[in-house]
Amino acid sequence: MIISVILIIALIYLLIGVLFVPFFYAKCIRHIDETAKGSSIGFYIIISPGVIVFWPVLLRKWRKALKEQAYE
Amino acid sequence: MSTAYSAVGWNRQKKIYDGWIAAFCISYLALFISLTLLFNSEATFETILIRSTSTLAVLLLHIILSIGPLTRLNKKFMPLLYNRRHLGVTMFSFSAVHGIFGIIQFHSLSNTNPLLSLFLSNTNYGSIPAFPFQALGFFALIIFFLMAITSHDFWLHNLSPIVWKTLHMFVYAAYILVVMHVMLGVIQYEKNPVFVLILFTGSASLIILHLLAGLKERKIDKMKFKLQEDGFVYVCEADEIEDSRAKIFCIDQERIAVYRHEQKLYAIHNVCKHQGGPLGEGKIVDGCITCPWHGYQYLPHNGQSPPPFKERVSTYDVRVNHNKVWLNPIAFAEGTEREGALL
Ligand code: HEM
Ligand code: FES
Repeated sequence: MIISVILIIALIYLLIGVLFVPFFYAKCIRHIDETAKGSSIGFYIIISPGVIVFWPVLLRKWRKALKEQAYE
Repeated sequence: MSTAYSAVGWNRQKKIYDGWIAAFCISYLALFISLTLLFNSEATFETILIRSTSTLAVLLLHIILSIGPLTRLNKKFMPLLYNRRHLGVTMFSFSAVHGIFGIIQFHSLSNTNPLLSLFLSNTNYGSIPAFPFQALGFFALIIFFLMAITSHDFWLHNLSPIVWKTLHMFVYAAYILVVMHVMLGVIQYEKNPVFVLILFTGSASLIILHLLAGLKERKIDKMKFKLQEDGFVYVCEADEIEDSRAKIFCIDQERIAVYRHEQKLYAIHNVCKHQGGPLGEGKIVDGCITCPWHGYQYLPHNGQSPPPFKERVSTYDVRVNHNKVWLNPIAFAEGTEREGALL
């Protein structure tokens, strides 16, 4: 029982991550990492699994970066 | 240290390195498969796949974990370190094939979800001889997965180096899980003790290597520097430092690399901005201090990466007097120009 619940939660978490990927590449990545500018498609493919897993970290980084830019 | 990211930062050396990895893995698999067919002709395709990839992954894991201490003990092993992460991703790929086929082979035939079946088909969590060892393999695989997907430099920068390093230190936890997975699995499947013996030898050599390397580090750190003169500490004789190389000194918990370059001595902080590699264990290439781990470069006289790169490390003052090298352990701001000491 507990294991089913954990599995379902993990699945939902990862699904949100999948949905986050296109949004991240379109809106966020240029605010949090300048180096990413002009990177190859291969680069985006290779970091995608990480974006799916670590989306909350990136989301928080993006929001922080936006706030800092608003101050400037 | 690139101006834009690429998928894989291949250069000539890394291609050679990866060629060796591929050759090694293919030869191992070929040897394993031929031996199995020769001595155990009833083995099915799935069994061969599961066993060849798992043993290859464990072998690679031992190689990966011994590279760190080996390079500390002898510089000759440095080239192995240069592209260790490709070795890591390769290891993960083989263990993933093993894990996925293990799940298919043992858990996909029942009508429960295979992942549930992995945890629930055997619930002898309180027993050692019948322990559900596959769950241990699963958690090890998750750790290897997290390490593999964060192996790009993008993650080093965006998860912050501390988080990244901590995550990658979990490789030791994963190693322990793998050892238990194999030990507890083997006692259920095999009567032959050879496998346990091989793994025991592997673990013992890893532990000994790490202890030896640790002892060597401690000796450097414990060196007492007593002679002082207006802030400068006597560290060594000038001719103890080879040309284009460095010696590392640990003063007040700070590691400082003193480099010899074109008849001058320069001192910079020993910690590379990339992943904390030991700059003093590298050498000077094209006039730049070059990190032994992945080749980030810094100019000796100001600790700055040559443009267009932006990394900077702290610099220190050095003096030479009658062949004696004196070092001031108070750091200048990262990237500060120091003229060095003429020999
Ligand atoms: C989901 C993850 C995993 C599952 C379901 C799993 C499953 C299994 C199974 C069923 C066996 C017994 C196979 C047999 O004897 O025919 C086994 C053995 C073994 N596993 Fe795993 N495993 C997993 C992860 C790992 C990982 C990450 C490693 C190491 C990198 C590993 C290394 C080994 C080794 C060395 C053996 C003994 C040799 C063999 O019989 O294949 N396993 N595993
Ligand atoms: S640690 Fe990667 S180049 Fe120095």
